[in-house]
Amino acid sequence: MGRVAEAIATLFFLVTLTFLLAHAVPDGPAYAILGLKISPERLNALNTQFGLDAPLWRQYATWLWHLLHGNLGFSYLQTRPVAAVIGAYAGRTVVLYTVATALAAVAAIGFGWLHGVFYRSWPGRVCSGIELFLYAMPGFFIATVLGMVFGSWLHVLPACGMADLHQAAPGLADRMAHMVLPASSMALFVTPWLARIFAQGVHEEFSRDYVRTARARGVGFGSILLRHVTPNAIRPMVTMLGLSLPAIFSGNVVVESVFDYPGIGWLLWRSAVAHDYPVLVGIVLVLGVATMLGNLAADLVNAWLDPRVTYAE
Amino acid sequence: MLNKLATGAAPLVLLFLFCLLGPAIWPTDPAALNVGAPLAAPSLSYPLGTDALGRDELARLIHGGRETLSVAVPATLLAFTLGTGYGLIAGFASGILARLLMRLLDALLALPSLVVLLCGAALLPLNRVTVGGLIGVTAWFALARVVRTEIMSLRERDFAQAARQLGAGPLHMARRHLLPNIARLLTVNATFLLGDSVLALSALSFLGLGVPPPAASWGSMLQSGIGLMDLGAWWLILPPGFLIAGSLFAAASAGRMFLSEASNQQTKVFWFFSSEKNSLPSS
Repeated sequence: MGRVAEAIATLFFLVTLTFLLAHAVPDGPAYAILGLKISPERLNALNTQFGLDAPLWRQYATWLWHLLHGNLGFSYLQTRPVAAVIGAYAGRTVVLYTVATALAAVAAIGFGWLHGVFYRSWPGRVCSGIELFLYAMPGFFIATVLGMVFGSWLHVLPACGMADLHQAAPGLADRMAHMVLPASSMALFVTPWLARIFAQGVHEEFSRDYVRTARARGVGFGSILLRHVTPNAIRPMVTMLGLSLPAIFSGNVVVESVFDYPGIGWLLWRSAVAHDYPVLVGIVLVLGVATMLGNLAADLVNAWLDPRVTYAE
Repeated sequence: MLNKLATGAAPLVLLFLFCLLGPAIWPTDPAALNVGAPLAAPSLSYPLGTDALGRDELARLIHGGRETLSVAVPATLLAFTLGTGYGLIAGFASGILARLLMRLLDALLALPSLVVLLCGAALLPLNRVTVGGLIGVTAWFALARVVRTEIMSLRERDFAQAARQLGAGPLHMARRHLLPNIARLLTVNATFLLGDSVLALSALSFLGLGVPPPAASWGSMLQSGIGLMDLGAWWLILPPGFLIAGSLFAAASAGRMFLSEASNQQTKVFWFFSSEKNSLPSS
């Protein structure tokens, strides 16, 4: 319970900070809407219309009051409520996120097995080298190279958008094809990191007594790996997956902007470029909640994987 | 030992030499247009080809590197000062202040770094100073945490207790006793911070929110290369990308070298996921 209260306090702090920063520049929003070359009359008219001439504390109070009623504000750019804008984009990101996380988890487990089992011999070292290489590569470069190779050179996968615009009604197959490059890029950002954590776990678990005992009882290698070692080694990885949600989101912004995939990351990018402050503040709020929920989910999964783990304080 | 030092720092030294001495070795004007040869493939006269306006890509890369470093190095210094200062204060503080400082730091560490950078870039008028400042102000959180942890353990040690008994004030303690003890650790982190700053600047420039044109950093060059991807101009995409990745690698390599100097423990694992900084790279 204490943790939830703390998380909510943190979130409140963040959102307040973002709001204040966005409104700290007087006339900032008005310039953002109408451009820098506007007459003072129009500037004043707009400020009055949007209530931007009120003192900052009153703007904040009004905004907070509306927030408590589920109103996130109004997008300058798209001229519709922020909640509707975010709602329209969020679903696509959730889908992308889910596919990418599933891909990353599967790849990390496969790679981690190889790395963990051969930790000190050459296959392990090769794995380690690949992990380090991918880890050091900037995400936007990985995404760009994937797009260049598979989209532009080989022409095997679409590298732009979320559906083929030439078709009247793009089918599921088309949407899945458009998902391949963004999802695998996102997965590639996290896989080396997760695989490494998992591999370390596998390596450590293999030197434990219970593994020796199981071996002495004649349990086969596959069974030890799958039934004994993996469930124990996977827990740190799940925790990290939860903790790294903010970092994964940074990757998401990059991927969505490289592949023009219209999700939350793309929206954040376009809103930043176009100075659409209400949407920016709204996204920070939504992300904060998502991160909290993500951490909670990781805790729950961990408690389910290991009954000894409790989070009561 | 000197050998190890040299190999660890070599990539970083090479990178700086490339940017600093580049114009002397390859004195082509990066802004000179050659409309006769747009998108020329790499050849003897253009070792890395030309861009859509016929500008020499190698010269542009050299100057892009200078641009990148001229923002990233001051940003690193700023982040280093802020992180060390905050870590010192948080390590020294006690009671409610210490708790508050720690909570704030946790909150800041929980933010997706690219989101913070994008929000900041949306709010600021963009030029070298603001972009460098923004990167510096958002890059120090992990360092502050490392410094705080170290200070908290150091201040309980006998020599620190003794100095305090002798009447040493906090400033004297910090300058004469605590900071010298974490000097190596600070060097390591300063090197990593340089990598972080280059990455942050490249990501911002890549998204079109870095220093505006005519300045061109590696990130914005990579971005403009993407637009020409379908024309097969790989020489506008791979070189800037590999230079960004190379500088991250150079910073990591130098940092790891300092780190293995700092402690003889198993350091390989440490720099890869220093547990103090258990987050992914920002993008």
